[in-house]
Amino acid sequence: MKTAAKLFYFIAAFFLPVGLLYGFWSEWKEPMGVTTLLLCSGMALMIAFYVSRTEKQLPANRPDDDPSGMIEDAEGDYGFFSPGSWWPLWLALAASVCFAGLAIGWWVFALGAVMGVWALFGWVFEYFKGEHAL
Amino acid sequence: MVAVGTIVWLASELMFFAGLFAMYFTIRAVEPQLWAEQTEKLNVPFAAANTLILVISSVWCQIGVHRAEHGQGSRTGKLLEVGKWGMREWYVLTYIFGAIFVSGQVFEYAKLVTEHVTLSSDVYGSVFYMTTGFHAIHVTGGLIAFLLIIGRTFTSRHFNRFHETGAIVTSYYWHFVDVVWIALFATIYLLK
Repeated sequence: MKTAAKLFYFIAAFFLPVGLLYGFWSEWKEPMGVTTLLLCSGMALMIAFYVSRTEKQLPANRPDDDPSGMIEDAEGDYGFFSPGSWWPLWLALAASVCFAGLAIGWWVFALGAVMGVWALFGWVFEYFKGEHAL
Repeated sequence: MVAVGTIVWLASELMFFAGLFAMYFTIRAVEPQLWAEQTEKLNVPFAAANTLILVISSVWCQIGVHRAEHGQGSRTGKLLEVGKWGMREWYVLTYIFGAIFVSGQVFEYAKLVTEHVTLSSDVYGSVFYMTTGFHAIHVTGGLIAFLLIIGRTFTSRHFNRFHETGAIVTSYYWHFVDVVWIALFATIYLLK
């Protein structure tokens, strides 16, 4: 993760002077580029900061920072990941109905919203219900 | 893993707001006259109080995370024994503060509409409602997320690390939305 953090620190360090240079060259009269370039730096900095913070909490000498590390060295518990779920499809369909509602009429939007609530609850609680709840 | 993914997604959200900020600055640069006229109508003390409510809600949220990290999902004492509150109670309090913030925004919008600042009145209205409105939608989404996270704590007998992860990443989102609002508040209300 050290490598990942370094990579994003590099991106952040790149966009900061580029944003300032852009502002200087455009005589600070064109705020679009300055804002987005500087926030690009912020975006990379956010990830870099979080990755390096996470890295410090993990055991030292992670295999992903070791050039001769093996894939199996990184085995272990990574958290819970759904093996597969149909709920995102229903939620996306609900969102499509909502968008269609903007063009057709608000009653369609309302139908989509009801469907969206059902899909959202289905997704969020998929593994948090019944006897085998996580 | 889930936490790192959330941060990567929030970084992309930062770029979404970057577009809105860039739009605001660009249009303000070409319409200085309109800005001088319309920003007079903003109620800065009211918005500042509302901002303070949102910032305080982040503090409650962080205390809730602290409780979650200690595996305390719900209170161990009576309802009024604040010291024994768990994540659930602190998140309910965060929810209430966040809801007050959104209500305050609705109140502010209603007042501005009576003063003829609407989404289609002029370019200032469009930019004002687009930036603050997209932020308010994010806050509302956060409120829904809090409800779902609170709802999840009722699903199993013990508060475990799956609940904890959900609580922590929701707090990341909430703090992010809070920081974006501080930047928006400074841009719209203070940099007149």
